[in-house]
Amino acid sequence: MSDNLDEEINSLFQRRLPLLSSIFLVLLSYLPLNFLFIDSIHPAIGVICGYFWLIHRPDLFNLWSICCLGLVDDVISAAPMGSSMFAMLVLYVLTNVASKFLTAKPFVVLWYGFVVLCLGTMLLRWLIVSVYYSQFLPLGMLFFSYLITVFCYPLVSLLLAFVQNALMQDDE
Amino acid sequence: MKRRRSLFLHLSHIRLLAKKFALVILFLFAFVLMLVNKTDTILIEKTSNVATDVVSPLIDLLVVPAKLIAHTYDYFKDLKEIHADNIRLKEENRKLNLLYDKFKSLEIENRLLANLLNYVTPPKSDFVTARVIADESDAFSHSMIAYVGDIGVRKGQIAMSDKGVVGRVDRVGYAYARILLITDINSKIPVVVESSRVRGILSGDNTSLPQLVFTPLDAGINIGDRIVTSGVAGVFPAGLPIGKVVSVGKNKIAVKPFSSLEQLEYIKLVNYGLDGLLKDDELKQKSGDVDE
Repeated sequence: MSDNLDEEINSLFQRRLPLLSSIFLVLLSYLPLNFLFIDSIHPAIGVICGYFWLIHRPDLFNLWSICCLGLVDDVISAAPMGSSMFAMLVLYVLTNVASKFLTAKPFVVLWYGFVVLCLGTMLLRWLIVSVYYSQFLPLGMLFFSYLITVFCYPLVSLLLAFVQNALMQDDE
Repeated sequence: MKRRRSLFLHLSHIRLLAKKFALVILFLFAFVLMLVNKTDTILIEKTSNVATDVVSPLIDLLVVPAKLIAHTYDYFKDLKEIHADNIRLKEENRKLNLLYDKFKSLEIENRLLANLLNYVTPPKSDFVTARVIADESDAFSHSMIAYVGDIGVRKGQIAMSDKGVVGRVDRVGYAYARILLITDINSKIPVVVESSRVRGILSGDNTSLPQLVFTPLDAGINIGDRIVTSGVAGVFPAGLPIGKVVSVGKNKIAVKPFSSLEQLEYIKLVNYGLDGLLKDDELKQKSGDVDE
């Protein structure tokens, strides 16, 4: 009985690990660490996590997971509530459209894919938040945020790959 | 039996439809959230306060180990510069001692003149120091979350560092408060150029350099001019230092805040007892008046 319960908890944890690890990294990205390049502009860690899991484990990281990640980001951020969720949904659609070109491809191809999809996601969020404020937000900040996010992708995906390989068991 | 079967079919149908249109529904939900955010600020504010109170303790848990790593990094970085810093600080201390004497004599002179003129002194302030647990600066917003406990921090209180104003309290939950930084697009502060007394509004634009707007064209504002609060509107008292002018363009005057907003670990939340900021019930009443 106890073994069954342990197994069930373990299985639930395994299934939620992509979302939990993403939320953990998003929270981590908001810490006031004040060193390296993180000083003034934060990378969009949520977008990296969302892309990584949608490509590698779409079975465990579905529409609801990406929505949940967007909502957590919305709660911490002072940006208009719903804008991050909107961005995550855009990412979900774009990744689904591009998944046939990206599944089981080498890392560099996935990175190139991220470069394109992240740009689309961030530009659409920029557009909708600009409409919300009825004024265009500075594109310079968006561009730097985009560049930092793109350069952070290998590091964050390495961490997530560790989570996937070391902490998650295969279902087979 | 037949009825239960039809009910079952009905539910499965709904489930199927929901699954099919989940993406559309969620997109709509995101839009509705933004619309509600725009129209009913009180509802969103209350929900957001509760949500921030739920999420912030998780960040708070991560702060201690993360800060330890950051401090270790800083320690080794600072070791390199310790000798040069020591020489610089000794020189600075010598200058400060001279300034202190000057300040003391000016303070006495100021008090005497104020007595002669029957000058009404500005409101006394009290403050609490809060620890910053999360900061956020990107293209979409500039804010930070601070742990305030149950010490009675109110919306509208001024957030300051040791160098000047950094923002104001925007939302207060049970134990955490969100500080809207002066660089955020929603931040508008009545200010004055200290030397020429030209008034204007310091408007954040989500970059690290907020802009000085609504100033006369022939204001004669120069690079290096100090910007302080003007006290107009009654949210900020007059004379609090904010930053200095770093560029003067045709349509743009950029101000660099005195405080490094991204390096704050602790902030002072000062209560000057000013009630210029509209309270929630007043806001609701005013929006009601407009609707009528």
